Amino acid sequence: MISRQSLIVARWEFLRFFKWKQQLISYLVMIAVMGGVFAWVYLTDESRSVYRVAVPAELRIQNTDQFEFQRPSIELSQQLQQLREQQTWHAVLAPDGEDWVLHTQSSSKWLSQLEQELQRFFRQQKAIAFGLDAQQLAELEHPVTLQRQFLAEDFKGEDTPEKMIAFAVLILLLIGLSTAFGQILMSITGEKQQRVTEQLYAILTPQQWMDGKVLGHSFSALKAMLTTSLIMLVFYLVVSLFAREGLDLSWLNGWVILWLIPFALAGLLLCACFMGAIAASIDDPNTSGKGAVMMVTWLPLLFTWLVIDSPTGWAMTLLSWLPLTSFVAMPVKMSMVEVPWWQLSLSLALLLATLYWMRRLGGRIFLRGMQMYGKEPSWGEIIRWSLSRKVD
Amino acid sequence: MQLHIEAVTKQYATVTAVHQVSFQIDSGEIFALLGPNGAGKSSIIRMLVGMTKPDSGQIRIHWQDKTFNEVPRRLLGYLPEDRGLYGDKSIEKNLLFLAQLHGMSKADALREMDHWLGVFELSDRRHEDLKQLSKGNQQKVQLIAAVLHKPALVILDEPFSGLDPINQEKVVEFLKQLKQSGMTVLLSAHQMAMVEKLADRMVLMAKGEVVLAGSLADIRQQAKPEQQILLRSETPLPVDWLQALPEVTSLEQQAAGQALIRLKAEAQVAPVLRQLLERIEPEQIAMQTPDLHQLYLQAMAKHQSRAKLEVVA
Repeated sequence: MISRQSLIVARWEFLRFFKWKQQLISYLVMIAVMGGVFAWVYLTDESRSVYRVAVPAELRIQNTDQFEFQRPSIELSQQLQQLREQQTWHAVLAPDGEDWVLHTQSSSKWLSQLEQELQRFFRQQKAIAFGLDAQQLAELEHPVTLQRQFLAEDFKGEDTPEKMIAFAVLILLLIGLSTAFGQILMSITGEKQQRVTEQLYAILTPQQWMDGKVLGHSFSALKAMLTTSLIMLVFYLVVSLFAREGLDLSWLNGWVILWLIPFALAGLLLCACFMGAIAASIDDPNTSGKGAVMMVTWLPLLFTWLVIDSPTGWAMTLLSWLPLTSFVAMPVKMSMVEVPWWQLSLSLALLLATLYWMRRLGGRIFLRGMQMYGKEPSWGEIIRWSLSRKVD
Repeated sequence: MQLHIEAVTKQYATVTAVHQVSFQIDSGEIFALLGPNGAGKSSIIRMLVGMTKPDSGQIRIHWQDKTFNEVPRRLLGYLPEDRGLYGDKSIEKNLLFLAQLHGMSKADALREMDHWLGVFELSDRRHEDLKQLSKGNQQKVQLIAAVLHKPALVILDEPFSGLDPINQEKVVEFLKQLKQSGMTVLLSAHQMAMVEKLADRMVLMAKGEVVLAGSLADIRQQAKPEQQILLRSETPLPVDWLQALPEVTSLEQQAAGQALIRLKAEAQVAPVLRQLLERIEPEQIAMQTPDLHQLYLQAMAKHQSRAKLEVVA
């Protein structure tokens, strides 16, 4: 199946893009950026300050943690003068006919919180005017609770921990595919531009070459996915520690993960084969428009994302059976509903068969692309090659 | 290893790159494909390597009682016309990668590498990235890559291009070493002086066809070159009288007292010399033998005029 030469190419390709020092630096930079963002949010959080608000004498509003309401005896114009000179007040509330005006120096984030407090006060005043007591008002403000009850036995629930796995799958596959996309395009077209390809052809068959490329870059993508998973886990650990909770990983469903791995692996290889085939048909990435087609591999992620809230709907069912989308849709679906093992097995078998076909297609396109000597094949030619059985 | 190319024709969309070409390469010889750009040399090489197939005719490779239609990869060392390696990797890493793809162990590859890097005076640069080397040195690394695994047949497409005269001589020595070690070498080139020094046999090609073939002696015989006499005298030469001689086809006056006289291929030289000596007192008179370059140019000129005649007809 996979020759020794393909494994040598795979190792070469993997190590070509494995620059651990640069990667470590990029992770440190990412952590520093995240730290900077958190620090900035903390420093600019206005909710931790106390704001003084001047209100008319007839309004008896209770103070809150954030707002201190005072009823000054001086004229409104004097209050506004103090506000203008940034003395005493952060805001001044004044009547305007039947309405109210809130005066401040400029717009601030805490203003919306102040408006909520004032609205609550005025609602209470109106309720009293209508003759309602505090309990009636509370009931008005809290309407009945509407609960959802799902009768399908295979549905695990809306906000189950498994749904986190589904989201994580989508994010990880996006990271994996993005890694593979960049590397495959750069590696294959770069090799053509460096004019190594003809020399390699004299040593390897096109299929061995394509297998090596696909494997090498899929390993790179897997490495990126694993690293991201570890970072996610470390982040979760840190958050748990800060929240003074023990590290609880009981929500990790072993059965889901057991199926997730072959689906994700096969999907990654399938997409890498497709990307390899397209990249092999590109002569010059600067002038070719074919590179963008490689992004088609992201569509299964998007389609699945759009129907993630209907895991038993026809769309998710279709996506979980189609071999070009099942590698995303089936793991997501099975993390949210119970899927019989035979459905999982059949879907995986279809995916593996498609992967085999795509692998052969990649080899064929590489060979034919080589034989065109600098002329880029048309889409018609690529489709014709994909339907032919000829390998050499 | 023996290679038989029999009446091979290869046509691309609008061009016949190779037309009815036949030749044979024997085991252990250095064989040269000569011709200008577009002569069909690289097309033949690509068919031998298996990148393309002949439209008609046959390629047969004999190796240890087996016959193949293209050179098996494991027996081949190849330097393509369109060549390059990984510029962002060191010489050693590039060579090791290709050697391991050829099935060599790391230890064997490193040992062979030591030898060839020494031959090309690149030993102290083996850990430098390829992009840091000059074009000529990169070419040397590619030559090493083609032979590191000791192939039975080495195909080198334009091995002299991009090299200065000193390095061209080094490549000549390198090719002689390959021959000594028993490898069969097929090379394409247009540096006639280099080919003359080392090729056992050759074919001269033009527009996809073989114009001349064989050893240098065979080619001389086939080409039937014009005989040339270099004549120098202290007094000005009687140019009109010389041109009027029935055996003379043309005359190239190089100075007032010096000319290169071309005779008909079948002309008897002795009577012409007698005539000259009766009229002129020469300071120097010498017969000139055309080198491969001149033979090639003459053959090309004949081929082109024949082609024009065919078009007119």
